[in-house]
Order: sequence, then C-alpha cells, then structure tokens
Amino acid sequence: MISKDPYKILGVSPTASDAEIKSAYKELVKKYHPDQYQDNPLADVAEEKMTEINAAYDQIMTSRRGGGSSYNSAGSGYASSQGFDSGYLRSLIQSGSYTQADQILDSVSSSDRNAEWYFLKGTICHRRGWLNEAYNNFTRAVQLEPNNMEYQSVLAQMNRQRSGYMSGDPTQGYRAGGMSGPDCCTSLCCADCCCEAMGGDLIPCC
Amino acid sequence: MFGYVRPFKPYMRMFEYDIYKAVYCGLCKDMGRRYGFVTRFTLSYDFAFLSLMDLSVRGVKLDAEKQRCIAHPFKKTMCAKCICDLKYTSSAAVILTYHKLRDDISDKGLKGKLAAFALLPFFKKPYKKAAQLYPHLAPAVENAMALQNKIEREKTAGIDLACEPTALMMQAVSGGLCTKQNQRRPLLERFGYLLGRFIYICDALDDLPDDFESGSYNPLLTKFPPANGVTADYLKQVHAFCDDSINFTLGEMADIYVKLDLKRYRDILDNIVYLGLKNVYTQIRSGKFRNNRKGNNDQ
Repeated sequence: MISKDPYKILGVSPTASDAEIKSAYKELVKKYHPDQYQDNPLADVAEEKMTEINAAYDQIMTSRRGGGSSYNSAGSGYASSQGFDSGYLRSLIQSGSYTQADQILDSVSSSDRNAEWYFLKGTICHRRGWLNEAYNNFTRAVQLEPNNMEYQSVLAQMNRQRSGYMSGDPTQGYRAGGMSGPDCCTSLCCADCCCEAMGGDLIPCC
Repeated sequence: MFGYVRPFKPYMRMFEYDIYKAVYCGLCKDMGRRYGFVTRFTLSYDFAFLSLMDLSVRGVKLDAEKQRCIAHPFKKTMCAKCICDLKYTSSAAVILTYHKLRDDISDKGLKGKLAAFALLPFFKKPYKKAAQLYPHLAPAVENAMALQNKIEREKTAGIDLACEPTALMMQAVSGGLCTKQNQRRPLLERFGYLLGRFIYICDALDDLPDDFESGSYNPLLTKFPPANGVTADYLKQVHAFCDDSINFTLGEMADIYVKLDLKRYRDILDNIVYLGLKNVYTQIRSGKFRNNRKGNNDQ
C-alpha cells in the first residue's frame, strides 16, 4: 500500500477542498498520462507515477466519504455520491482513453453500479464498436433512470438503427411505408382492378 | 469469409454496372500482373468494393478500355486501365487471402483443407511482396489472426468480441485507403471496423449448419446451444439476434458513411452500402445464399 502521504503525492494540503484535490489530480493525470509516453523510455516511470496518483486520490476520496469529511466540500457532490467520478470518466472517454476508463469502471463494486455507470459502460462499448453490448448497457441505464433525457436519446438512436434505419439512404423513397418491389406491383394491380371496376383502366394490357 | 459485400443488381443502372465490372476486371488483371496468375482466382466482390472506395477516396476518374479476359475469351469487356492504380486493394487482397488460406488449413473440412493446401504455395511469395509494399497492413492482419485463434480456442460466446478480429482486420485495410493522416482516416477505420463486423456476423450465420455438423466453433452456436439440432424454431431465435446485430452495425455504418461524404462513384457505393449488404444478409437468412453459391455465383 501507499506509505507516503497521499496529500503530498497530489501536492495539496490536507485542508484543501474536494474540488481543489480533484483539479490537482486532473493536472497530474494529464502530465503522466501513458498516451504521452508512448515509445518513450520513461513510460515505466510514468506508469508507476500514475498508479501512485490514482491510489492516493482514491484513498483521500474514500476516507473523506467514509469518515465524514471534516472539511466541507465545495461542490463535486457528484463524485462523492457514487463510487466513481463521472465527470473525469467522461473526459477520459472524450479523449479516447477507453481502456483506462473501462478499468476504472470495472473496479466499481457491483452495488455501486447505477444508471450512470451503465451509460458510461455503454458509451465505451459503442465507441469501440461493440454495439450489442452497448445496447444492453444503454437499456439498463434507461431502466434504472427512465427520466434521464441523455440516456433516453442514445437508446432511441440505437433503437432506430435496430429497426433497420440507415441514415442518408437515397433509396429509401422507393421503400418507404413498405413499398418494396413486389408490394409496389401488388398495389398497382389493385389500383388497376379498382379502376376497371369503376369502368376505367390504369394498366391497359390487363 | 469473403464475398458478402456486393451490389444489389436489380437497382443498378446499366452504366453503373459497367463501371463496377470494369473495376473488378481491372483489379483482377492488376493482381495477375503483380502477384501471379493463380492469385486472380481467389478474388472476391469485397475487394471490388474496396477498390471503388479507393478510387472514390482518391477522387480518381475511371479510365477503362475494352480488353480480352480469360474468363470471357471470345468477348472483349470493359476493364479499368493500369493508370487507375489498384495496387493497394490487390495487395490487401493477397494479404487477407493468404491468412484466410492458412486459417482454412487449421479449421475447415477436408475439401477446404485440400484447396487451401493447393493454393497456399502460390501465395507465399506474393504475400512477402505485398507485406513489404504495405508494412503497416501485414502486422495488423497477423495480430487480428492471432486474436481470432485465441477466441476460437476459448470458444467465446459474446458476438462483439467474436467479431473483433475480422473487424480489426477490415479496419486496418479500410484505414489504409487514406494515405495521409487526416480527418478522413478515423472515419475510414471505423467504417472498416463495422464492415468487418457485418462480414463476420454474415459468415457466422452462413456457416451455422456446417459448423453444427462438424462441431467447429461458431459464436452463435456457443451463445444459443441447439438442444435438438438446427430446427426452424432454433433458427428463429438466432435470426432475431442476428437481425438486431446486423441492423445496429449497418445503422452505425451508414452514419459514418454519410460523414465520409464521398463524391465519385457515389451511386454505386450507395447501392452496395444501403441495398447490397442488406440483400446479402436476407439471402443468407433464407438459405438462398448457400444454394446460389453451390450452384452458380451469379447473384
């Protein structure tokens, strides 16, 4: 475990607010992110540092949540109300660090997995192209929190695709409303029969 | 594994069909010139589509002339000239086919094994040449094949993971269409990934009866273990699952395709993306695709 003071690792004072700690943590993550050390001899050192920073942050946050923080936090209630920092995860996903975000999500205990967790999991799957899993996760997120517009719209988009919708389809006019080739012929024949019954003729040859 | 990406002929205009054929013909000849006579026989429709994408991404106008071809010795057909430069797709075809043959030797039935054994020697040298020409492509395909073997050994049930190797392979091939690192590259990569996903799901459904008989790995069989054989009821369940997976994949693919905003050969590409792929899937679903393949190859 960590022998050093977690506050020292993050370079903040023990009296710092949750928001300050969070911003210090984000700065450090940016600095030591493994993506910046690809093909770099310092990659190992950076990775070690990353683990250290993550552990320190987790330790502070857990102790503050569990033991009832003596310092009244100035915001970031979102992070402390659930087992993971959703804002940070979203920024990770945005920057394309899916593996890292996925690892953090997987480490969340199953009792802490709420709608947001399933939504984030689904987003990572979707970005990776794992569409079936993405759909299952989004469905679960909407089940848990049916009134969240963000979850709803993503699920609706996938449901539209599920029903066979393809955006930008120039041939859709032909087939709209079930007018596929044979259907179209049948309707024409029907129309012809109707016309004939009325004494006219739509298709002269039959 | 190949041959699932083709146009839907009834909705093609005559001149579009001519262009499509000319590109196919040009690609076949390019393969022959570059990689030897035998490689030509392994060419599939998928690569004709990739060639069209290639020409479209580069914005190359088709230059075709009437030439003779061994498939039609007495009739001259339109054929794309070498200046159109179909080097990339013909090399990609050689790289992918080489790996497919090696894969066939390890897990196909006796007939497939013999065919692969017979063809493989003709691909050794061309493979080296193609791999040298495109040094990024061959390792990506090799990695994907290694992943494929791992998944087959572990008999994975998840369709997403099972699709991954083919998807990554097509991602590498499609990404290579764009030689510069620009905005289009990630789009092409994602497009390829989804196309690979489509191909793999089609392949899994198409091979389902064979794999059931031979006891080979098939993610659909692992996910839905057939209790009393491949019955109509059983297929209904599998089809419902495949419908969803295919529709998700094609829906997402269409989004990317729209963003790619290709200009040249747009109508032919539209035909393949919006009609051809769905048509192939419907044919596989009804069992028509297998029958057609056993009989003649024409639509």
